[in-house]
Amino acid sequence: MSTVDEVVGAVPAPVVLEHRPWWRSRAVLSALVVVGMLAGYYAAKGKYGWPAVLEWSSLKTHLDSFQIWLSDQSNETSPNLFFRIVNGISGGLDTLVRWLYDALTKLTWVGTTVVATLFAWRFGGLRAAAFMAGGLASFAAFGLWDESMQTLSLVLAAVALSLAVGLPLGIAAGRSERFDRALTPVLDAMQIIPAFAYLMPVVILFSVGPGAAVITTMIYSVPPAVRIASLGIRGVPSNTVEAAKALGSTGSQLLWKVQLPLARRMLLLAVNQTILFALSMVVIAGLIGGSGLGDPVTNGLNTNPAVAILAGAAIVIMAIMLDRVTEAIAERTDPTRRHLDEAGRRRARMTTIGVLVASAVAIGVGFAANAGDIYTRYTIADWLIARIQSVLDFIADPTTFSFQHITNPLGNFLTQHILLPLDTFLVATPWFVTVAGFVAIAFILSGLRPALVTAAMLGLIGLVGEWQSAMDTASQVLVATAISVALGVLLGVWAAESEKVSRILRPINDILQTLPQLVYVIPFVYLFPISYVPGMIASVLYAFPVVVRLVERGVRDVAPQAVEAAGAFGATRRQVLLKVKIPLARDAIMLGVNQGIIMVLAVVVIAGLASTPGLGYEVVQGLQRNEFGLGVVASIAILALGIALDRVTRGNQGNRRTREDVS
Amino acid sequence: MKVGFRKSHVRIGVVAVALAAVGVLVATNAATARNGASCGTVTLNEQAWAGSTANTYVTKYVLEHSLGCKVKITQIAEIPVYEALAHAKVDAVLEDWQHVDQYKQYATKQKSVVIEGSNGVNGHIFWGIPDYLMKQYPQFKTWKGLKGKESIFKSPESGSQGMFLGGDPSYVQKDKELIQALGLNFKFVSVGAEAAQTARWTQLVKQKKPVIFYWYTPQYLNAQYHIVEVQLPKIFKGCKEDAKAGGAVAQYRCAYSTYPLEKVFGAKFAKSGSPAVAFLKKFSWTNDQQNTVATWIAGLHMKPDAAGEKWVKANQAQVNKWLGK
Repeated sequence: MSTVDEVVGAVPAPVVLEHRPWWRSRAVLSALVVVGMLAGYYAAKGKYGWPAVLEWSSLKTHLDSFQIWLSDQSNETSPNLFFRIVNGISGGLDTLVRWLYDALTKLTWVGTTVVATLFAWRFGGLRAAAFMAGGLASFAAFGLWDESMQTLSLVLAAVALSLAVGLPLGIAAGRSERFDRALTPVLDAMQIIPAFAYLMPVVILFSVGPGAAVITTMIYSVPPAVRIASLGIRGVPSNTVEAAKALGSTGSQLLWKVQLPLARRMLLLAVNQTILFALSMVVIAGLIGGSGLGDPVTNGLNTNPAVAILAGAAIVIMAIMLDRVTEAIAERTDPTRRHLDEAGRRRARMTTIGVLVASAVAIGVGFAANAGDIYTRYTIADWLIARIQSVLDFIADPTTFSFQHITNPLGNFLTQHILLPLDTFLVATPWFVTVAGFVAIAFILSGLRPALVTAAMLGLIGLVGEWQSAMDTASQVLVATAISVALGVLLGVWAAESEKVSRILRPINDILQTLPQLVYVIPFVYLFPISYVPGMIASVLYAFPVVVRLVERGVRDVAPQAVEAAGAFGATRRQVLLKVKIPLARDAIMLGVNQGIIMVLAVVVIAGLASTPGLGYEVVQGLQRNEFGLGVVASIAILALGIALDRVTRGNQGNRRTREDVS
Repeated sequence: MKVGFRKSHVRIGVVAVALAAVGVLVATNAATARNGASCGTVTLNEQAWAGSTANTYVTKYVLEHSLGCKVKITQIAEIPVYEALAHAKVDAVLEDWQHVDQYKQYATKQKSVVIEGSNGVNGHIFWGIPDYLMKQYPQFKTWKGLKGKESIFKSPESGSQGMFLGGDPSYVQKDKELIQALGLNFKFVSVGAEAAQTARWTQLVKQKKPVIFYWYTPQYLNAQYHIVEVQLPKIFKGCKEDAKAGGAVAQYRCAYSTYPLEKVFGAKFAKSGSPAVAFLKKFSWTNDQQNTVATWIAGLHMKPDAAGEKWVKANQAQVNKWLGK
């Protein structure tokens, strides 16, 4: 959960403050473009939608027939070699997950808890052990032990395989610029294209069950492994590499003796992030037979929302538990920090033996006491569900003061005065004016190449016939990003200035990034019963923590000399902040804007499920109404929109790709 | 650094030994795992609505207690579950809302699933309004009464038009086309998944405000919130049901039909001769019965297993019929 911090810290950003007359500043020029677009809007409101001539209307049908063909092939009585191989893979993965699950359950819950806690203690220390024990105990207390173990085994399998695939690729990308460039767009696509779009092909190829769930999870959790590993290798100081080369190291010596050991921390961070990304797919994995905590989330939404929230909480707890434990293990086992003498090593050995003996005893006790495969006793699930339910009842009550006078009016205001006007503006402005406007802004803010990419992406959206939906989505994305950035910058600066705020924000950020949005989005529908708003809130809650982390890191990393110099000239703390730190952290703040957009786009589908029209709704429809073509086309549009907005807001401070791709 | 390396070898060795120990334990345990009864394991798929949960847990109780089967419940989404049935990963779906395309592809063409007939429940999609509104405006009995009155359904996102609250994107629907064909001044507002739609309209109903929305029966909420139907034009020959089919809006100018909900078995399970097959084939109950159990589960938050047991114990005669006793 600390990717962004690490990553921004890794690359020192050159800061060049520009001096231009105010009327030629980027903001003013961009504003002029917007004025131009407004003129176009009033001149020809709703007259020029994307022309049908420029649409490839048969694309959806082609995609649909492809899916039918694939299914027919796969369900033949004797499928061909390709499908037999694919079936073999999914069978193997099923077995792997089942094996892990069996191991976790057959150890009995006593055994699993003790072994895992002692393991965390031995390699991560007391704090890690406390997190492990606390996490496992809460799964038991929530009455979700079995589901948690299913999810844990799925996540462990997916993480192991993601690392097996991702780390080598990342190391290769770290050593070859060209390979990195070729890989980046693929990774972008894997992360932005919503899982709903490829769920059906995955199911046709790999059937349903844990195997298919692992594959789907991996599509999302391989990219962070690749990116962070590549970044780690790149982060090895070039003079060290040069020195090693000068001393005559071969390529493999360079890798094994210099680059890998020095990139150790980043590689461990890759492990940690992969776990978290894998956990964020739990609900989707449940839709195709992944079982585990995703099922009570999905099912609870219609039958018992309190259960869905409880299961969501278990997912968050698992994420925080695994995050803190892996982080602690990474710290403790860092060879550069450990200098054990002979006695220390002997002690460590004794501890290991002690841990093994204690584990064996625990497993034995588990069997002897016949603790059973699954923990079912002494849960506080009913009590918790009743508490959650009472909160939900309050939320769903339209007679409360907060509903009548705060949330409902606020939601109406947002919709009527911000979201709808912007939506109408983007949808009704002639398409060529919109394209020209976006491209011009991209040119002003980011330069020629990004402007060309923006033009191509907007063209692609029109070509696949998603212009109107994409404009619906774009309006929501823009508003959600604006709110996320405002909130994120404010909190980020505050956190950078105050250690206390920073400590409070970290767990909140962790929760918001791993709690499945489906869990909290429905309560927001009760609070803001109006389309657009609940989906937008979900986007903001997911996006602003990233902005906070980036901005906090950026402001903290401002060169101390600059701050000291300002202090020496007698600047107040406020002046230092406003005149020195924030301007110097401009880079990180711009990156925050950019990342905010990407994160908001990642929630578009969930927003579609929670009442927001646009591309997300179509992607859901694609899966659930068997309109494969529609889902794919809408996903392409989401990807194109993401790339276009990324380019518009990228800014032109040189090559920033390596940094922004990570989270 | 070198020391660290040797150290880690030791550690790897230790971990390997531990894993091996675990492996042995698992293996010995698996060997003693219980053998299934003659019925074996039956995998039922529970869909994400309360009626489906009711079907699944009532049959689960009977399968376990009268036939000695082991029941596994999966929760796979409606369309992917067809692949699961085809691959024999799921044995039966007890309530399918007429996925005609899938019937063609999987049952007729591939013969990988079998449509086993109705579960007794009749599904019907309609335009719903709360009964207090019907009392206030008796003309809403048919769609014609809505004409000219659309603006009472105004909402912040519908501008000067009335708001029509659309259904879950995964359900069969044609409301945009209907609104256009009937010349009503409604703005179709999509509200996302069923849970979100429910949140939206229940919030309005609790405040006794006007609302008109896509809805369906059997649904346990209908009784709780007194939802009544607005009559749409009569069904004519060739009238289309699902906007997915495309074509002119005039072809959609009719009510949604009422149809039986189907049981769908995987081909392998259907041919397996398991006693579970005979029972599930006979399983059939009414909308009211399903609603009762659904209300227990979703409305009163009873545990699904307990609800299944309660219903079976109270309706032993009907259950015996399903069992062919």
